Amino acid sequence: MSVSDDGIAGAKSSLSLVTNLSVIFLVVLWLIPTVGLLVSSFRDRDAISSSGWWNAPFATEQNFAAGAEGEFTQTPDGWVIEGNVFGEDGSGTVTAFGGRRAEPTAFQPGTTGELVRGRTLTMEANGDYRYVDPGEDAPRRNPTLYFGTQVPPSFSTDNYETILFSNGMDVAFINTLTVTIPATIIPILIAAFAAYALAWMDFPFRGTIIAVIVGLLVVPLQLALVPMLTFHNDIGIGQSFYGIWFAHTGFGLPLAIYLLRNYMVGLPRDIIESAKVDGATDFQVFTKIVLPLSFPALASFAIFQFLWTWNDLLVAKVFLPSNSDSWVMTVKIADDLLGSRGGDWGILAAAAFVSIAVPLIVFFTMQRYLVRGLLAGSVK
Amino acid sequence: MKNLASSTAIAVILSGAAYADGHTAAFTPGEGPFDWDSYTAFAEATDLTGQSVTVTGPWTGDEKAKFDVIMAFFADATGAEVNYSGSDSFEQDIVISARAGSAPNLAVFPQPGLAADMASQGLLTALPEGTADWVAENFAAGQSWVDLGTYAGEDGSEDLYGMFYRVDLKSLVWYSPAAFDENGYDIPETMEDLKALTDQIVADGGTPWCIGLGSGAATGWPATDWVEDLMLRTQPPETYDAWVANELPFDAPEVIAAIDEFGAFARNDDYVNGGAQAVANTDFRDSPTGLFEIPPACYMHRQASFIPAFFPEGTEQGEDVDFFYFPAYAEKDLGSPVLGAGTLFSITNPSEGANAMIEFLKLPIAHELWMAQGGFLTAHAGVNLDAYESDALRAQGEILANATTFRFDASDLMPGEIGAGAFWTGMVDYVTGASAEDVAKGIQERWDALN
Amino acid sequence: MSPLLQGILTVIIGVGGCIGYFWASNLVLDRVIFPAKGQDAGRNINRANAVRPWLFLLPALAALGLYLVYPVFGSFYRSLFNRSGDEFVALGNYGALFADSEFRTALFNNFLWVLFVPAAATFLGLLVAQLTDRLSWGNIAKSLIFMPMAISFVGASLIWKFVYAVDPEIGIINAIRDTLGLSALDPLQVGFWNNFFLMVILIWIQTGFAMVILSAALRGIPEETIEAAIIDGANPVQIFFKIKVPQIMGTIVVVWTTITILVLKVFDIVYTMTGGNFGTQILPSYMMEYMFRDDGRATAVAFVIMLIVLPVMVWNIAQARKEMR
Repeated sequence: MSVSDDGIAGAKSSLSLVTNLSVIFLVVLWLIPTVGLLVSSFRDRDAISSSGWWNAPFATEQNFAAGAEGEFTQTPDGWVIEGNVFGEDGSGTVTAFGGRRAEPTAFQPGTTGELVRGRTLTMEANGDYRYVDPGEDAPRRNPTLYFGTQVPPSFSTDNYETILFSNGMDVAFINTLTVTIPATIIPILIAAFAAYALAWMDFPFRGTIIAVIVGLLVVPLQLALVPMLTFHNDIGIGQSFYGIWFAHTGFGLPLAIYLLRNYMVGLPRDIIESAKVDGATDFQVFTKIVLPLSFPALASFAIFQFLWTWNDLLVAKVFLPSNSDSWVMTVKIADDLLGSRGGDWGILAAAAFVSIAVPLIVFFTMQRYLVRGLLAGSVK
Repeated sequence: MKNLASSTAIAVILSGAAYADGHTAAFTPGEGPFDWDSYTAFAEATDLTGQSVTVTGPWTGDEKAKFDVIMAFFADATGAEVNYSGSDSFEQDIVISARAGSAPNLAVFPQPGLAADMASQGLLTALPEGTADWVAENFAAGQSWVDLGTYAGEDGSEDLYGMFYRVDLKSLVWYSPAAFDENGYDIPETMEDLKALTDQIVADGGTPWCIGLGSGAATGWPATDWVEDLMLRTQPPETYDAWVANELPFDAPEVIAAIDEFGAFARNDDYVNGGAQAVANTDFRDSPTGLFEIPPACYMHRQASFIPAFFPEGTEQGEDVDFFYFPAYAEKDLGSPVLGAGTLFSITNPSEGANAMIEFLKLPIAHELWMAQGGFLTAHAGVNLDAYESDALRAQGEILANATTFRFDASDLMPGEIGAGAFWTGMVDYVTGASAEDVAKGIQERWDALN
Repeated sequence: MSPLLQGILTVIIGVGGCIGYFWASNLVLDRVIFPAKGQDAGRNINRANAVRPWLFLLPALAALGLYLVYPVFGSFYRSLFNRSGDEFVALGNYGALFADSEFRTALFNNFLWVLFVPAAATFLGLLVAQLTDRLSWGNIAKSLIFMPMAISFVGASLIWKFVYAVDPEIGIINAIRDTLGLSALDPLQVGFWNNFFLMVILIWIQTGFAMVILSAALRGIPEETIEAAIIDGANPVQIFFKIKVPQIMGTIVVVWTTITILVLKVFDIVYTMTGGNFGTQILPSYMMEYMFRDDGRATAVAFVIMLIVLPVMVWNIAQARKEMR
């Protein structure tokens, strides 16, 4: 750990302070949107579209309408109706009140507000009101009263409950795992061999193959959906788990080969050549030396392929049967829980966090391997 | 009726997607305003035991739950196993699966344009013979529904490919009765009154309209409904039909005038909540919430009959919110035109079960069961109107019945690149400042480029 | 059979099958076809070594050929036909594309994306990797910055909606403008710059990717070279730019290339945030407008996208040649 004591003694502490501060700054910047999503996932659709998530933890002033209950009684002042806007059992504090929807906070509590046609409305802070109509005939309908009050922040785990405990989510979770695990491991294995051949073996057309693979990275997979589904139908696997494993393997291979080959090329030449001199075959060099040394690259690709298959909706919809027994989580959320036309932001936010959990666990477990292989041998 | 409907929804949610018998429990055979006799007759005549019928469509979430109930009754009657799956990207999924040869038995198309396209590629199977005659006789304005579902097949011969099931009413303006009442506003009977009311609200210090065009990749579509509705209110229906068929070019003065009519509402900062800038990118799902704010962020919202699904939780129709017919000009004497849309059933993979499903959808009960669950209008003339879940829905049914002209959503009938592409983006350009002439010209050029 | 059991079996059969294939095919090659003994031993070893790379490559090439190369050629052929696929139009679709102003906007914007997003994401990723390298809470910081990688594009678009919304009650940018007394403004409608606001979303997501790979590379730098530099009196900034960056240049280029290619593929962000309106169209989302409607046009766009990546391909051939030495 020689770098942390950089030798320039005086500069060290100020430098580490600057480092710490800039990392904190960056992390906060990166977190703001994620925190917004997290907060939103605990709110319902109405709350999300009516106030900013940064206001969610605070009590907010909101306006309400309440219909007066009971009947008018005739008094010397006119027709009177009395009651409490919070109802018989409720309580609260009125911060302002009014008699029209357009001006819900026209008057201060404790005062008497003049309404149209000589009518008056008095409201106390505790919600007691007295509405007086000086007209001769009994009013035909009860008035609606408007008032403002502080509303405590409201969070609930409803969105998460909808997602986690909905019927069939366990099946969807298992299906997702069933899709992602083989779809992560198989391409890595195939790609590792190919990457080794492209990195350390000499044969004609090597450069061309590498270039083609780079070119294939950019192929939009929409091009392949129809031909491949037709192919699967022709060979008899149709829409099934086999189909989606093959599809993910095919679509994931270019990136896997590209990343792994570039990593393997950087491995120290002398180790590999001395092994070959000692009589090791390519197969042995690969399994005994290159594969263990390539662990960080394998782990990082595994993370990305896992993330991609885990969050995938398109490939799953095309290559899996559409009955609910084979739904993966993304399909289940999009087709079953999100509601028609996908308008429930709260569910969407919660779904994003539910689906983030497993990839993060994978990331944390894999993180150790990201450096382990590298430290085992030093890279050129 | 209302309690019954909501308990159904709960029952459906609890039982998940599996077609258990529990599904049908919410409606007891023989009870309620349903036509059980024809259902029993159908059940006795049809036996599909051991077969399965697959259906895909655009309904997800709540709507899927409601449709599942109807499918459960079909399963009960026939003994077939039914599997319905819904998708938000239905339009894309059905094309992929049909081309790959793994299409479901039936598909529910939200846009006749897409169905016509697929029919011309030979991906659809014509409905059983006699269906066209049946629709013509048994649907209100039956022939027009036959025409909307009749397309040229791969060999060029015309056949009925789609049977409409569920209609959406588009010419509705939603408002808060309490807000109208307190300010002394009356429901406008004519377009002139509506415009006067709009100015009146501005004069009173309010904002008349909430308009939101945002819808992700489909941003802009709510504006196409506006333009179509205004087209029907400024031009005779024949002109509208010519426009849909592109016999009247998109940049004809008639169309430009209709676009500018829309602009008179949407491009006026005083008229729309948040100003004209907010129109283009406000999500259409969030847009109606302005009606419910206190003080109101706006007083009116023009949107189709499905929009109550996006009202705040606990909103009571008729109480907190109501609708009126988007009125026609008194001076133009074009009657009371109505704009609508609908979904149609097509056979994508023929089987005995698929034909049985079409037969089943002819039964009044297939419609009544959804009417009773709410959010469903039908053109089937033989249904019992008592089955409608609420008075509001019945009132919409009346608007449909009173229409002197009924026209289908033009953008759903135009080719996909126009009706679900250039028209949408063109309207966004228009709302953000481009001139109606330029926008219309651009759309027409796109149309010309289709070969 | 339950899907899980089926999955476990597939992993075992798949992994076992792959390993078995590589092991057995090598064995057959060395022992049966070209045995390294007898009179032809030397020649056989050479022959076996000539065949072996293809054994290693075979499964990958087969899968790539089937799932990507075949559709690409099929698509190219399709792109020469008209909308309904029954009339040969040669390069007519390509001509029509360049005549469309929306396509030209998309092409221009795509160049902006390709230049800006990989540069910014790689730079920030490298910065974070270096800053957190010796930090006691570095792993936590890295995990937090990595988090957006794990959020689906739909979730990401949702949260950025709450950043960019016009309503100051909902959009954080307009909430800040509001407190400063400025009027509300829709960032996604600000001509030209709205492209960059959309790019920020992808940068936010991809910095985690760059960071993970680059931080592994940084740790791989031998300590001795850095110690030598310290002894020579180099300051930390010099060490970073003069010693560390050149050593991991190869990795930086890989990260850069990977993100460039991702930029050319991701349509979700533009698709869900603006639908390509307000002059923010890019090629992948432009292609989606035609996908499954006019396949001739859609595939033509796909090939324009692949043309853009041509320089990267050429550069990679050159690299591969150099490595062969």
